[in-house]
Amino acid sequence: MKLIARYNRVNLVANIVIMLITGIAYYQAISWVLTRQKDKDLQNEELSVLEYINVNHELPQTIESKYLQITFKKASANTVQRKFIDTLYFKKWGKDNPKRRIYHSEGDFEPGRALVTSAAIEDQYYKVLIVESKVETEDLIRIIFFITIGVILLLLLILFITGRLILNRLWQPFYGIMKELKLFNIAEPKEISQLDTAIDEFKDLNTAVTEMSARAKRDYRTLKTFTENASHEFLTPIAIINSKLDSLLQTEHFNDRQSKLLDDLYSGVSRLNRLNQSLLLLVKIENRQLHEQELIDLKVLIDEMIVQFEEIYQDKEIKLYYKLDSKKIYANNYLIEILLSNLITNAIRHNQIGGEIIIDLTGKNFIIRNTGDLKPLPDEEIFTRFHKSSGSEGSGLGLTISRQICENFDLSLTYQFDAPYHAFIITFPG
Amino acid sequence: MKILIVEDEQALRESIEDYFAEAGNVCETANNYTEALAKINLYRYDCIILDITLPGGNGISLLKNLKENNHPDGVLIISAKNSLDDKLEGLDLGADDYLVKPFHLSELKSRVTAIIRRKSFNGSNLLKFNEISIDLLGKQVKVGRRVVKLTPKEYGLLLYFIANKDKVVSKNAIAEHLWGDRIDIADNFKFIYSHIKNTRKKLMEAGSKDYIQATYGTGYKFSDE
Repeated sequence: MKLIARYNRVNLVANIVIMLITGIAYYQAISWVLTRQKDKDLQNEELSVLEYINVNHELPQTIESKYLQITFKKASANTVQRKFIDTLYFKKWGKDNPKRRIYHSEGDFEPGRALVTSAAIEDQYYKVLIVESKVETEDLIRIIFFITIGVILLLLLILFITGRLILNRLWQPFYGIMKELKLFNIAEPKEISQLDTAIDEFKDLNTAVTEMSARAKRDYRTLKTFTENASHEFLTPIAIINSKLDSLLQTEHFNDRQSKLLDDLYSGVSRLNRLNQSLLLLVKIENRQLHEQELIDLKVLIDEMIVQFEEIYQDKEIKLYYKLDSKKIYANNYLIEILLSNLITNAIRHNQIGGEIIIDLTGKNFIIRNTGDLKPLPDEEIFTRFHKSSGSEGSGLGLTISRQICENFDLSLTYQFDAPYHAFIITFPG
Repeated sequence: MKILIVEDEQALRESIEDYFAEAGNVCETANNYTEALAKINLYRYDCIILDITLPGGNGISLLKNLKENNHPDGVLIISAKNSLDDKLEGLDLGADDYLVKPFHLSELKSRVTAIIRRKSFNGSNLLKFNEISIDLLGKQVKVGRRVVKLTPKEYGLLLYFIANKDKVVSKNAIAEHLWGDRIDIADNFKFIYSHIKNTRKKLMEAGSKDYIQATYGTGYKFSDE
């Protein structure tokens, strides 16, 4: 739910409640004032009726005006209590009023206010009922009701419009910062730009985000430089161990146990070296230091590679099938070689004796499938650094490097498990 | 052959010196820029093994100096920087080859031998080892007069062995020489074994002596002793 929607909802409910309360209060107040007014009128009327009786000692003629009806009823003494009541007022329609024909009636009831009082002529006691129509009051109240509804609707409309136009514009810096954050890539040199906004909160947010990103980048750079330097520093000791092993090998006369130890040392150093080279390569790719691009014919490259790998997959009795269409891409040749070689290496390494590898190259994508374990690999984890299947001799960086290379050239590298094949797919852009 | 090893790391320098020290080879060493500069201006070498990062200066400027004075010495750059730019700069400036640290001594020897061979034979591209003769241009191997048909890998293997004759060459070194970095796939080096077996068989069938010996399961040695 958007903040603005939430805000509007609360705002709206509060406003409607307040408007309703106001409406009710208005109604009550006006109703009270008008009723008192009516009551005064009724009292005046009562006064004149009583005066008339006092003077003339007889009941006045029944006065019937448009809004006033006075009726007299005989009553026994002291049974009538003087009081104001709400009642109905029967309004007669005029002789020519078409309503008479339509409703077959002489009139209809309107809300009315009445004063019940008593009068006495000699010993005869009368109950006097003075009824006045309250229809104007009701009209007034209706008008108030409609005005209230109108105001509520207007409020709704204004809230809607402000939400859409003004607030959306107000929040624009926020969305701008969000967009920058989404595009933020710690490895890229692009900084989060300063926003042009007059609003303090957004200024603060922007400053915080800019500072945070700069700090993250600085830390990342430091870390990367550290990795790079560390890897460089490793090279010399590895070179020394390597050369000393080569020298040791010349001293002759080893027994089986010693030569086994030497073998293990060699493979250990060689793994260490490859790991180190992979780290250096990764730093270099991330730094985009290998930027020379050329048009590469993938078909030719893959053909060559298949030949180079021949002994290695044949050694595992792996059957390799391939179907290559012609496809050319602009990229760095060295990196693309590493990418393909990594994927082929994995397909061989994680294969079983007598397994299969299927390579397909089309204009759209490159797919390499291999048999191996019968369960899918954890999709995203395999692309993270140092993720390794148990017992793997690899550096754990091969797929990380592969994905990084793909990212550099707008290619996408994905994994799919299509029993019994593990498939790695490079999709070409466009 | 006369070789100058310019390398500041003592342990590495000594290993290289040891490996190249054999009858007929003269190895000199320099462990910093000034010493190296003095030596290359005084003496001529068949090959200079040149480290790029040196105390007191850069190996690249030594190379420039060498080329400005038109010295014909072969130069092999050894560097910890596996950067294409460095490599191209070195080769552009006239270095004969570029080897990235860490390397196997046998690989270094094979590269140095190749440089010296290119420099000294001047057009004659025939390499001989007892009854085996190799036409380096045509990549043809003969035992006596019989042509031996070797695959490209077997041919590379033979050259590698001859360059490292009388040395024990580790299986790792052979694998890396023939397959480059990709060798990390191999869980074992069985396929190297089959290449060596085939090379040996083909040579012996053509009448050569058995020069390739397996040594203690760790490596191989090409020797006529």
